[in-house]
Amino acid sequence: MKRQTKYLAASTAIFAGLLVAAWVTHGTGVVRDDPERNIVIPDELMSDLQVKVAYDGDTIWFRYRWPVERPSIFNDVLIYQDGEWVRRGGESLGPNPEFLTEDRVAMMIDDGSVPLFSRYGGYITIGDGLTTFTGVPETDEERTKYLPSTRTDPNDFDTVRPESDLQMLREAGQFIDLWQWRSSRSNPIGLGDDGLVAEERGGDEGTGPYMTNFDSASGQPRFMFDPDVAGYRALSFDDVVAGDVGFNDTYYLSEQTAVPFDPTYEWQNGDTIPRRFLRPETGSRADVVQPSAARWRNGFWDVTLQRAMDTGNPLDDKIFQDGGSYDLAFAVFRNASTMRWHYISLPVSLGLGQPAQIEARRSEPGQPDWTGPWTEIEVYYPGQITWGQLTDARVHPGADRIAQRVPVAARHTEEQLALYGVQMEFREEIRAQWLWTLIASLSLIVGLGISVNLLMRRKEGDA
Amino acid sequence: MTRSNTITALTGTAAKARKDNDMNRLGWLARGRRTGLASAAILMAATGAALAHGADGGVAVAVEGAPSWSLSPVYHILVAHFPVGLWVTAYLFILIRSLSDAEFAVRLQKAIWPVAALGTLAGFVTYGLGLTIYPWSAITESPLGRNHIMLATWTLSYWTVMSVLGYRFRRHLFEGAQRWITLALATIGVAVITITGTLGGSLGGTPSLVTKSLGWIGWNVYMTFYLPTWMLVTFFAGAVLLIALGIMGSRAKPAPK
Repeated sequence: MKRQTKYLAASTAIFAGLLVAAWVTHGTGVVRDDPERNIVIPDELMSDLQVKVAYDGDTIWFRYRWPVERPSIFNDVLIYQDGEWVRRGGESLGPNPEFLTEDRVAMMIDDGSVPLFSRYGGYITIGDGLTTFTGVPETDEERTKYLPSTRTDPNDFDTVRPESDLQMLREAGQFIDLWQWRSSRSNPIGLGDDGLVAEERGGDEGTGPYMTNFDSASGQPRFMFDPDVAGYRALSFDDVVAGDVGFNDTYYLSEQTAVPFDPTYEWQNGDTIPRRFLRPETGSRADVVQPSAARWRNGFWDVTLQRAMDTGNPLDDKIFQDGGSYDLAFAVFRNASTMRWHYISLPVSLGLGQPAQIEARRSEPGQPDWTGPWTEIEVYYPGQITWGQLTDARVHPGADRIAQRVPVAARHTEEQLALYGVQMEFREEIRAQWLWTLIASLSLIVGLGISVNLLMRRKEGDA
Repeated sequence: MTRSNTITALTGTAAKARKDNDMNRLGWLARGRRTGLASAAILMAATGAALAHGADGGVAVAVEGAPSWSLSPVYHILVAHFPVGLWVTAYLFILIRSLSDAEFAVRLQKAIWPVAALGTLAGFVTYGLGLTIYPWSAITESPLGRNHIMLATWTLSYWTVMSVLGYRFRRHLFEGAQRWITLALATIGVAVITITGTLGGSLGGTPSLVTKSLGWIGWNVYMTFYLPTWMLVTFFAGAVLLIALGIMGSRAKPAPK
């Protein structure tokens, strides 16, 4: 082989080698946890949820099953430490390493009154400036999900419409019903939690299944475990964190398991008491309950929630009717995560005697028929994507499709959305790195072009 | 042969060479004019069709931040078939010529550079049409959009290089060991065309099996293709090295026989 040809072969080999190296190393070096900016990327971006629905004309049952490696049955707790009761757990950025954030499942329901919901699901409720989003300053009040129609500027959290407008919207059905099940703050006493999303995410009228077990004035819990029932006044923090406290132990405070706190008792460092006291719900908020408290078994939560099909509260609840069609969207909280570190689904249709993705089974009175197959639903980590971004043609190439009401499922898969969600958390960094990659790769191709043009040879005597 | 005869013969040869040269130049000019006119006509027809398509059917919708004017993606998609078809044809001819010295292969070889160059010309038009579809700020927010732009840039620049090579070296590309380098370079080129095309399909909402298979071999196309900083430095260094090799190799004395 001629020397020039050897150089030529070397150039080609270097170019091809760099392409292979680029293939192997691409996509690294930018995406990483950054708690300073509220960025924590879950290890798994995708998960699964199984759903069955049954109804008997009066009651509707929803059954949910999802994988959880280690169940989290505690939320926030109070720990005795050197004379003080200190709060631990509850809200955290990403997974709580001490497993002090409860598991949860949530379901949004609409009856077609909020037409965008059937196409884009929970995305329509993610306005700009929500709590935990990168760059959003911390506020005393949590800035929660809301419907765009409740704002004069849908992208500005602070532009809430006047109360009369909100009432009008509510009466027109412009709200999304929201059911929740909480492994710590509702499950132990067999309850769900009935809420809604309108101008904010909140509970229905009435009181919820838990109250705060802490007296700020005294700096002490209000209740402790009843030693006659539990055999102890407090749990050991080490046992709680290690997962040694289970369903067969008394691990929650309620009327049946608690007594008023005894400040005279000789408390020891590490004594742990739940920061929530569970109680019966009242009003419209009490509509969603469980047939019995759920338990985690064999790596899965298996939870059933039930509600009267017509609660008589049409301003708080979406009323189910035989022959009706509805839209649902689910969120699963696992691995001791909360707030936006959940796994969501795209909108899913529900039919009561109607064709749909989930077809509810007509059942005998009071006997939910679970003989049908599960509906398998992919759920994914959504990252930080707001409705304002999705509908802005300067940011989202598909904004015109949204304006044309093309459903998200027609254009994107769950996996795609998960990956996009993560990349949106690093939008500036990734775009800059991508631009540099474009320039660097172009320079490499130009380098190859010059090299090969210099090294290619013609046989002597040939023009 | 007498001196005068020799002079006459040489003068005749020089005149013939000049005439041939003039004929060649005129031929090139004529072909260039025809090609230019044909290209202009195609572009005008495409522009007219695009403008005719500018009026939306159905219900008009207002979109926040939408540009005052943009071109429907269908024209980019339509025109994209030309460079893809031409470059893949050029690759097919290179493949055949690399593997065969038969008369048929040699004839095909003569078409390689014009086919590749036409593909590159159509590629520039396609690239330009593609950039008019979405605002730059929006398409560069989309991982799939970024990837399509990246691969389209690679494809266009790469086949520009291939076209120049084809034009400058023609049959010499297939002399000796060079034919295998030509084939290797062209194979890389056809790979980037394939990936660019499938990304375009995915961007239009019709991902193919190629899209999925890229995931199986290490690149989920819904993740932006970007390099870590140290690889960027390596790429720039690689570009310099390639040019240096070219200069060194071109100056190197032939190895002793």
